[in-house]
Amino acid sequence: MNVGCIAAIAANTVRESVRSKLLYGLVFFAVLLISAGAILSSLSYVEGHRILQDVGMGAVRFFGVAIAILVGINLIHREVDRRTVYTILSKPLSRGDFLLGKWAGLVVTLWIQVAIMGAAFVVVSLSTGAPLGASHAAFFVLTGFELALVVAVATLFSAFTTPVLAAFFTSGIWVVGHLTRDLRDIGASSGLPMVESTTWLLHRVLPDLESFNVASEAAHLLPLTTADWTLPMLYGTAYAVVVLMAAVAIFERRDLR
Amino acid sequence: MIGSKGAVRAGLAVAAIAVTALLHAQMDTASAAEQGRIRVPDPEKAQLLALGFEPVIADYYWIQAVQTVGGVESDPDRNAQVHELVELVTTLDPWVDHPYRFAALWLTGSVDEVRQANAILEKGIAYHPTDWRNRFYLGYNHFFYLEDNQRAADVLESALHFPEAPAYLGAFVTRLRAAADSLDTAAIFLQQLIRETEDEFERAEYLKAFDEIETERRARILDQARQAFRERHGRDIERPDELWAGPLRVIRVMPPAHPHFEGFAWEFAETGEIVSSFYGTRYRVHVHMQDERRRRKWREDEHAIPEEATQT
Repeated sequence: MNVGCIAAIAANTVRESVRSKLLYGLVFFAVLLISAGAILSSLSYVEGHRILQDVGMGAVRFFGVAIAILVGINLIHREVDRRTVYTILSKPLSRGDFLLGKWAGLVVTLWIQVAIMGAAFVVVSLSTGAPLGASHAAFFVLTGFELALVVAVATLFSAFTTPVLAAFFTSGIWVVGHLTRDLRDIGASSGLPMVESTTWLLHRVLPDLESFNVASEAAHLLPLTTADWTLPMLYGTAYAVVVLMAAVAIFERRDLR
Repeated sequence: MIGSKGAVRAGLAVAAIAVTALLHAQMDTASAAEQGRIRVPDPEKAQLLALGFEPVIADYYWIQAVQTVGGVESDPDRNAQVHELVELVTTLDPWVDHPYRFAALWLTGSVDEVRQANAILEKGIAYHPTDWRNRFYLGYNHFFYLEDNQRAADVLESALHFPEAPAYLGAFVTRLRAAADSLDTAAIFLQQLIRETEDEFERAEYLKAFDEIETERRARILDQARQAFRERHGRDIERPDELWAGPLRVIRVMPPAHPHFEGFAWEFAETGEIVSSFYGTRYRVHVHMQDERRRRKWREDEHAIPEEATQT
């Protein structure tokens, strides 16, 4: 693994991503929705600040995932389609370095987007007098880690399939990732040992994306323990490493002709 | 210059816009809340399908609940809808604050509704254990609608020591205890409050309540004497002093009308009860006349429901 090569690919990926009109469009709508929260919150005679922040954080999560999936699925395909991948891989870098560089570049791009949406959220909150606390910071950090994991999944699928299928699979994993806890609970209450163990296994194997979601805690300014945000960060990092290792293994065996 | 082709295109565009606007004007554009037909999903299913967006979905249905209450006033299903909406909101985001009390305010149409409101308030207490307000609304429902003074006193007592709990709560619980159990229970409870409070103003209020309980105890002795008078002489007293003065008396001495202050007497209140002239009323939870009328009507409506209907 050549860190210098990975950094160079990542820097180029960021440069390429920030030129994407799609990205700007999504960020624009996210900021618009965050601001529109102020109008929605006025429809309730109580708890307007909470509604404003619920909408804002919902917009950050929704558009963050949309960007991660829509941009992530094209990571490899575009390079193969334009034949630029041959030029890059003719240099002294491995396929693994290339893939990791692409992933890291997109993660940095996404974190910049989250920072922009976060800034809009803070501005809207401060201008309306909505309270801000440490749990809001935890929300943005954990959302960043969730998106890094979603990009890793998108990278895995884009390493061996078409963008449409990669988008389909990644969206599926994101949906199931938010359902695994419920599936486990449903399985546990089914009373059938087979169903119980299957749903438990699914909960353990599939990414538990709900562990990154502290939007409700942030909106209610509920206190979070250190473990509440450090464990998901470590879990996300470890899971992303596993997914990326699988992606590298597949990409190294892929016939790029 | 616009050519003939351009003119045709512009004309078609204008015609399309006009047709669209015309069709839209013909459509029924009343919101679901206005029409009283909001589809409220099952809370558990909604929770499953929310995919981490529970707070936003809860906010949406909360706004619908507010619109429902402010919408069709005569809609007979309104309260049922409010219950469904608040149940959904509090399931999706149980840390919400006001919706619990919102349910308590609106779900007062029947015993069943009050019980639904109480279940929602109990959920609110579980998620806001140090907030006195949900406990207050729950206690009030038990006292006012379900007329369960014992339970009301228990619930309200649990709210006494929370931050921002009003100072009058202790005295209110004492009156409920007196109504539910006995004056002795109320006095013991009051003594405990006097011991525990560090606020001088509150202590003074409790001591005043203690005097009132003592006066009530004496008034009850007079009630018993009055009953004995009726049984013995076949008529009611004309004046309270007939009980201890004159040839028909049933007790030897007049109990003082206040434990500490002299110059006060026993007299008839407008209700016909014997009261101390110091207080003018008996020691109990006082319900405003208007509220009492409302409660009576509510109770009558409840009893008007056929027995089979209440059983189902």
